[in-house]
This record gives sequence, structure tokens and C-alpha cells, in this order.
Amino acid sequence: MMLESKEVTKTFGAKTAVDHISLSLEKGHVYAMLGPNGSGKTTWMKLAAGLLKPSYGLVYFAGEPVSIESRKHVAYMSTEPYFYTWMTVRDVGKYYQDFFEDFSYDRYLELLRKMELTESMKTKSLSSGMMAKLKIAVTMARDADVYMLDEPFNGIDLLARDEIRACILEYATEEKLLLLSSHLVEEMEAIADRAVFIKEGKLVECVDLEDMRTQQGVSMADRYRQIYGHTEG
Amino acid sequence: MLKLMKYEFRKTWFTKLILLGVTAVAEILFLFGLYLENENTLGTSVFLLTILAIGGVLVIGLQSVITLHQDMNTRQSYMLFMTPNSSYVILGAKVLEFGLSVAVTGAFFFALGTLDITLLFAKSGELNQLWNMIQDFLSRITLANGTSILNLNTQTMAIVTFNMLCAWINMVTTAYLAVTVSAALLNGKRFNGLLSFILFLAISWASGWLEQIATQQIPSVETSMLVQGGIALLTAAVMYVATAQIMEKKLSV
Amino acid sequence: MEFDATRPIWLQVMNALEMDIITGKRRPGEKLPGGRDLALSFGINPNTAARVYQELEKAGLCETRRGMGTFVTGDEARIAAGRDAFIRQTVREFLDRMALLGETPRSAAQIILREEE
Repeated sequence: MMLESKEVTKTFGAKTAVDHISLSLEKGHVYAMLGPNGSGKTTWMKLAAGLLKPSYGLVYFAGEPVSIESRKHVAYMSTEPYFYTWMTVRDVGKYYQDFFEDFSYDRYLELLRKMELTESMKTKSLSSGMMAKLKIAVTMARDADVYMLDEPFNGIDLLARDEIRACILEYATEEKLLLLSSHLVEEMEAIADRAVFIKEGKLVECVDLEDMRTQQGVSMADRYRQIYGHTEG
Repeated sequence: MLKLMKYEFRKTWFTKLILLGVTAVAEILFLFGLYLENENTLGTSVFLLTILAIGGVLVIGLQSVITLHQDMNTRQSYMLFMTPNSSYVILGAKVLEFGLSVAVTGAFFFALGTLDITLLFAKSGELNQLWNMIQDFLSRITLANGTSILNLNTQTMAIVTFNMLCAWINMVTTAYLAVTVSAALLNGKRFNGLLSFILFLAISWASGWLEQIATQQIPSVETSMLVQGGIALLTAAVMYVATAQIMEKKLSV
Repeated sequence: MEFDATRPIWLQVMNALEMDIITGKRRPGEKLPGGRDLALSFGINPNTAARVYQELEKAGLCETRRGMGTFVTGDEARIAAGRDAFIRQTVREFLDRMALLGETPRSAAQIILREEE
């Protein structure tokens, strides 16, 4: 088991963001993590990335509790832009190269080319779409075991979404685990093979999408509507 | 660690550059004054340079604390905390980078001061009045035992340097602790800023009190300064550990 | 390719490849893209792509040679049989819909003949 969440709970004051989530994620799969905003997806990802400490329970990476060590093998992409404002696209790559042994600058350059970004661009003046592409490029240029991308399609135009999907698929090998959260459910129908539904901090279910289509004749988006109703948020 | 320090420097270099720029202007003013033998210009520039030497370190410390504040309270916190480094290493890089900056700044102003005084001395025949004024000013600055700083030996100089460096590191780690408590424990609470500032003052006072208690029975000024520096460094270490622990356990990135 | 997300995606990709094979767009014995390339070109999950080849192989329309990749079967009779099966299925689906409109196979055939003129 690559990532295992045992009874993981996270409270912020009186608010419970993640509520006793037990979940096992295997390598060789692309998981879609679904739920409306505020359902606890981001918090769970941050717990799995070791950026937050659980209030109760633990997340395990390859059998060991998530720690500073596991950050070397787990690539997490936050939904918000987070680069230092003085950085150029080149600085961002150099920064990752300085801190992650699995980072390949050559691969970064290749991804930049595909995303139509250049090294000399200033992060401060990137549009939100270009910033989203840069975050993906720098995260996927790592050769990590686990990739967790929080809202990778947010703010990205239709054509660039294809690029991002291709990039994600290219890295979805038998040895790797990809976890993508998005509220753009349709974007992930074909690239994910499993889906994790989270509602109000609790795990609803983790399903195999092709099995679900075969047995119930429903799409991931249908299931999403069944679970969350028609009101979003 | 070195890579983290590199980025700490990168985050603060602009402030340091401005400091260097202003110092350069003051120094040019000084050299002009010396060349034109204009005592007014010389007086102004010497005053400016003195202020810069003292205030410079304060500005560097302030910049370091502001940087930590940004590193914990803005989205850029990912940049540090996503790296496979413990809070101890991340904070350690900040303390070391600050210590190094203070040491370099101190050495720089010392060298500049020595150079300027030498130049002034060479011209002193023509500028007697000003030279006397500066000499008078410098001789008034004395250590607690009455030794003028004009008559210091190397050993005393080393001890004074050590003492000052420890005091600065103590101050900056105290500020780090206050900023971290504010970001990790008081986040979202009322009077957050005020409370953490009070915490800063209280720790500074307690640390100063401890130094005073420890040194009041020591007759030798030099020993006393050594002990004072040592205690400042020790309390700084305690605060460093406390800050890193809070970061490790409580921080929400 | 646009997918109907309510039906298994492997089945839709499999049907598309089947179509290519029985129409001769992909020749007997021709090498098919590797699993990863298939996933990339259709924009589907690699596990889904692997399933496509498993099912095509089960249907006898392709064969995997170890270390070489996947190929369209060289057995032309098999492809012809696949073609027949596809035609029969298409006709059945057509007749089912015509039945809903009250047409018998015979009347439907007459409609087709009239359409041809």
C-alpha cells in the first residue's frame, strides 16, 4: 500500500475538517478525489503531504508514518500559487532542483516547452492560467512515487487542459500513484480509474470507475450528483 | 542547510543592497568633504555613517523577522515547509544567515570606520578642529570600567564583538519566537499582534534580568561581558528549540 | 475521442479499434500502439488501455507477442468473422429501434430499398 490513511482526523478549533478518514491508495492508479469546496480534500492532501499534523490517526507512506523523509517521495501541488514573488520561471526550477533529489531540470524544460512557458518569465506577471501550468510543470518534473495535485485544472483553458491531461497520463505508470482533486469532474472521467468521494470531512466511498460504469451504468459525474445533490458548495 | 541559507539571503538581499547604497552615498560625501576640507560636509557624513553602523544591524534584524513572518503567514510558506527539511534546519538556516549578516556588517563598518579615521588622521593637520571633536566624541564612549574604546586591545575587542553578536542573536531569536507563537498559536485570535509583541518584550526583559543577575558579582568587566554573551546565547538556544518545536507541532501550512 | 462516461471507457475504445480492424484501416498483422501510447492518444487511464487489449485479445482480434508488442491478428477469417458479428449487431440494434416504431424486419427492409433509389 502506497498511501494509507487510518482514522485520520483534523480539527481546527471547533471545526472538524477531516473526520476519521480511513483509506488505502495503491500505486499504479490515478485517483480522482471529489467533493465540494470545503469538504476536506485539501486538508487530507496536506496531511498526506506532511504539511499538517493530524489531530488523531495517522497517514502512512509505504508503511511508515508521513514525515519529513516522505516529502522526498511525495510531490504535492497546492491549489494556490506559492512561489516567492521575486522568482522567474527559471528560479522556480532551480529551487526545486536545490531541494528535491528526484527533480529533473531537463524534464522541467520539456514540460515548460509543452506548456508554452519560458524560463525568463517572471512569476509575478504570470496570468492565473500560466501560473497553474507552471505549478504542474515543476511538480511533474519530479520523479516522485506519489503525486498529489490539488485542483490541477483550475483556471486553465480548454486546450491547456489537454496538455495537462497528457502530462498526467504520461507519468501514470505502474510504479506511481496519482491523486487529483477537482470540482471539474468531467475533466477526470477518462484519466482517473478510481474515485474517492468525500463529504463534510468524511469518506463516502472509494470506487473503481470502470466497474461502476459496467455494473451501474453511471458515470463519475452521475455518482457525484447522487452523493452531493444538485447544490454545489 | 547551505541551500536554505542561500535562499534566506536571497529573500533579504535587497534590504542589504539599499543599506550598502546609502552607506556608499554617505562615504562619498565623507570623501568629498575630506577633499574639499569642508567641515560641515564631513560632520554630516560622519554622523550619517555612525547612524548607519548602528541602525544597519537593526534593519537587518527587522528584515529577518519580517521574512519569517511572511514565511509563516502567507502562501509562500509552502516553499519552505514542502522541502524535506525539519523545522530545526529551516529555522537554523535563518539564525545562521542572520548571524553571518550581522558579523559581515559589523566587520564592514569596522573596516570602513578604521579607513575613514586613518584618512582623517592623515589630513588632520589641516582639519585640527574636527579631528579633535571626533577624538573627544570617541573618548567619551567608554566601557563600564572606564576604558575608552580608543585604548582597547585585541582581546577586549574580541570580547566586545562576541558580546554584541550574542545580544543580536538573542534579540532576533526572541522575535522569531514571538512571531511563531503569533502565527501558530494565536492565529485568528484578537490582539494577536499586541500579545506577541508583549511576549517579545517580556522575554527580552527576562533574558536581560538573567544576564544582570549572573554578572553582578563579577568584578572584571571582560569576564562579565563574556558571561553575559554566553547567557544571551544560551537563552537564544532555548528560544530556538522552543520556536522549532512550535513550528513542528502546530504550524498549519 | 468523446466518451459516453456512463458506459465503460475500455469498451468504447475497444469498439473504435474493432472498427479500424474490420474496416481494414488497420491491416492484419499490423503493429498496434503500446499500452501507454494508446492511453496517451485516447487520453485514457493506462489501466483502461491495458483492459482494451485484454478484451481485444479475448475477442481474437489482436495478439500480444512477448517483448514485441500487440499486433492485429493475421488470421483474416477471424477478422471476417468479427466483421460479420459487427454487421449482425448493427442490424439487430437497427431492427430493435424500428420495432419500437412498429416496423417489422420485412417492412424495414422495404424502407431501406426505397431509400436506396
